[in-house]
Amino acid sequence: MIDLNERYAEKKSFFNRLVVVYVFFGFVFSFFLYQTYSLQVSEYKDYETAAIANKTKEVLVQPVRGIIYDRSGKIIVNNVPTYDLILKASLIKSIDAFLSDLSPIIELDSDELDYVRENFDLKARYNRELIVKKNLSREEIAKFEVRGYKFPNAFIDVRYSRYNNYPELFSHAVGYVGGVNNDELDSILNSQALPQIETIFKYSNGFQIGKTGLESTYDQILRGKFGKKIFEVDARGRFVEEREFIKPKNGENLFTTLDIKAQQVAYDQMDNRRGAVVAIEIDSGSIVSYVSTPSFSTNAISNGISSRAFNALIQDNDKPFFDRASQGRYSPASTIKPAIALFGIENNIIDWDFSIEDPGYFILPEDQRVYRGWKKGGHGNVNLNKAMIVSSNTFFFSLAYKSDINKLIEHLSNFGFGTKVCADCFNPDKALLPTPEWKMNNLNFGWFKGDTVNLGVGQGYLSATPLQLAYYSTVLANKGTSKELSFIYEKQDIKDLNIQLNNTDDLDWKRLHQSMIGVIESPIGTAKRLQELKTYTVAAKSGTVELVSTDTKEDYKIIRENEGNRDHAIIIAFGPMPNPKYAVSVVIENGESGGSVAGPVAIEVLNSLIGK
Amino acid sequence: MKKKLTFKNFSIYFDQYLFISITLLSVMGLFFLYSASQGDLNTVIKQSIFVGFGLFLMFILSQPDPDFYKIFSSLFIVIAILLMFATMIFGREVNGAKRWLNFGFFTLQTSEIIKIALPIFLASYLYNKPLPISLKHTFITLALICFVFYLVYSQPDLGTGLVVFMAGIYILFLAGLSWKFIFTSFGLIVLSMPFLWNNFLEPFQRQRILTFIDPSSDPFGSSWNITQSKIAIGSGGMSGKGYQEGSQAHLNFLPEAETDFIFAVIAEEFGFIGICLLLSFFFFILLRCIYLAFNARDRFCRLTIGGLSLVFASTLFINLGMVVGIIPVVGMPMPFISKGGSSLLSFYIAFGIIISMATHKKLMQK
Repeated sequence: MIDLNERYAEKKSFFNRLVVVYVFFGFVFSFFLYQTYSLQVSEYKDYETAAIANKTKEVLVQPVRGIIYDRSGKIIVNNVPTYDLILKASLIKSIDAFLSDLSPIIELDSDELDYVRENFDLKARYNRELIVKKNLSREEIAKFEVRGYKFPNAFIDVRYSRYNNYPELFSHAVGYVGGVNNDELDSILNSQALPQIETIFKYSNGFQIGKTGLESTYDQILRGKFGKKIFEVDARGRFVEEREFIKPKNGENLFTTLDIKAQQVAYDQMDNRRGAVVAIEIDSGSIVSYVSTPSFSTNAISNGISSRAFNALIQDNDKPFFDRASQGRYSPASTIKPAIALFGIENNIIDWDFSIEDPGYFILPEDQRVYRGWKKGGHGNVNLNKAMIVSSNTFFFSLAYKSDINKLIEHLSNFGFGTKVCADCFNPDKALLPTPEWKMNNLNFGWFKGDTVNLGVGQGYLSATPLQLAYYSTVLANKGTSKELSFIYEKQDIKDLNIQLNNTDDLDWKRLHQSMIGVIESPIGTAKRLQELKTYTVAAKSGTVELVSTDTKEDYKIIRENEGNRDHAIIIAFGPMPNPKYAVSVVIENGESGGSVAGPVAIEVLNSLIGK
Repeated sequence: MKKKLTFKNFSIYFDQYLFISITLLSVMGLFFLYSASQGDLNTVIKQSIFVGFGLFLMFILSQPDPDFYKIFSSLFIVIAILLMFATMIFGREVNGAKRWLNFGFFTLQTSEIIKIALPIFLASYLYNKPLPISLKHTFITLALICFVFYLVYSQPDLGTGLVVFMAGIYILFLAGLSWKFIFTSFGLIVLSMPFLWNNFLEPFQRQRILTFIDPSSDPFGSSWNITQSKIAIGSGGMSGKGYQEGSQAHLNFLPEAETDFIFAVIAEEFGFIGICLLLSFFFFILLRCIYLAFNARDRFCRLTIGGLSLVFASTLFINLGMVVGIIPVVGMPMPFISKGGSSLLSFYIAFGIIISMATHKKLMQK
């Protein structure tokens, strides 16, 4: 029996201690209530936003890309809707198991299988869609829809493929589109004020961006503006319902100055030889034909290509991807002579009556070095007109010898050499107009008089792209006035690039044109074989680019055994004379003769433009 | 008012305050569970069977005289410990934890039994010990508490283990543990923290605590639950989004919405006002328990009421603290609200015993 005192003490102690515990709990509870209050009342806005962000996902909706037309309104590149079988790669464990399940329903050829296997890992890692098969037939769609429940991670959807009606004709001019890489995506989103990079990563697929050519240069215009769909999603990212749909703004169509017919003729004439053709409408400075051969199919590149086929293109020795028209560097060779002639007249070094004896070579007085012409024994007495027609090297060696190098360089750059001549070409190369500074900095040698002499016949360090040669041809045809070249009419910010010649009058230009007409029409002209190919007059200057320097024809015969050593054939031409409308340049690698190999290509292109 | 309804030859023992408030809380729980389970009627029906059975059990268990519990408390604890061992051997393993014993019609979480048996046993052991509790009895009690804690902890179930441990300590404290001992051992525990950290916590438990201290260290791992829970509660605002309108719960962002995190669902749908109303029920029950403890007939009853009500309070506060992110995630249901069998029933049992302790008066014949 516990006595009452003790019992009272025990009860009091119990009560005190219970109060202690409850006071402790009271503190805990107050803290809890404070925390809940701050979550629900003080920070309500933040958490409300977070809850909305949780359940909302935006999916960008791709606009339809603009159509590209030629100058007569014919479609070059269009968008073709196709029903594609698309795979959510990140949800597939084994691609091989998937493919073997799929094989009885939809057949894939070996290229398609390769493409899927090669791209699976990458697409899975970045949570992107993988297109298993494009352009399904009605039968395939029906078959898949019936058994679709077996493939919860695959679906069929409409995707727009970029389709070039002339896939090999415009591969370098128009270029191709491709999937968006992350840097590109960033810049697109910035330009459209869409910062949700993560959203894009997860859901945006089938986006196309211009990779080369006009598709790249005019990408901003062609691609339009993304729309978006706003979905409510659950925690697993599954769509619950669509909340909002902002329509995409489709891309604008692009009306180019290209001419499908001339392009086709140029392409056919090149016949897969390595080289390039560029044709210009002189008045507008617009590009009507732009061909680099050999070519490749842009449709294959734009819409998915197996790495086998792609590697074959990459490893092709003829380098089909290489845009020779704006990136190939070739010595202008004798085609430089009209510009050198103008320099001589402008600077009073020569006039049209001035003549020299051409023994077939030129000896540099400084070091007695011999510079040879193409014809053994020379051309006899030559004035400027004859020197142009027979392409006398001796005449131009001696003219260049008397020229001031710095003035000459400035003169040549006015004709587009070493400069950017096109406003909207993709990645044009400036090639090389050598200067004494350039030589000192790059080769560690001073400028020799011999370098200037070489410049007089377009050999040596000087190089130009076919695009620059076409521009040069345009400037010659237009008597010194020209605009920057472009693929579209009335392009904004186009530059006028007129040449200021003080001492050269219209008569000089006419005589120069006359001498260039003589290149074809004269019985001694270097391109006289082109006479029968046309019914109107054409001015031209052919050139033959020596890749290996030889002293005699016999030596050349030996080195030409190797095709890569053969001379490049080159020609610039414009017509119909006397009021030329189109100018053209043609380069054929290892074609040997400017007049008879590159010449016919130039004439056929002019024929197609002028209509004979 | 605690009632003893006396009939001719037997009496019914009943406390209407506790009974009504617990019944109301249980019914509200069903209502919340319907939303938290996204309108799954099966879950709600199953839960209402437990609630009905629980209320019945509570009523039945409030009938025996406290002496019954006092006399059989040693038997209860032995059975509870045996069940723990049985779980260790025959238990069903879920996610690497062995906590359930399968009886065919019902899976029993055995730690829930020991959570109740331990305080009753300790009350019956300590009620006649003179104040302050001697060092010997203190150590015996602590040894038992640690042993039981270890059994639960090793399942592993740190949450319930802590509640069991706390339950024992409450009894010891309320029974009159000497203050000298309290301060000394508190000092020792603080000093041994690093040792406990390294030797007694599983890596995932350590990770949880680290994540709790610095949530950004683990954005999609264990703190995902807490982040989503906070978003659910915070986005509820003052008045909530409305019944069944909580996007966090209904679009599955909130994990364990029916069990541990059901409070977040309630907070999202009913707002700060709603949870204040809900918590006032709990508050009322706890105040009622203090009153009952103070007016209990003897020391054993006082200790039992005090101990069991503190088990209830601890469970509630651990759950609430976890859901709002002021303590680490340990896995603890909200009493009478969360879905669950054993844990739900254990509180009806506890309150049945509390009512028994509160309503039986000693006959003053001596």
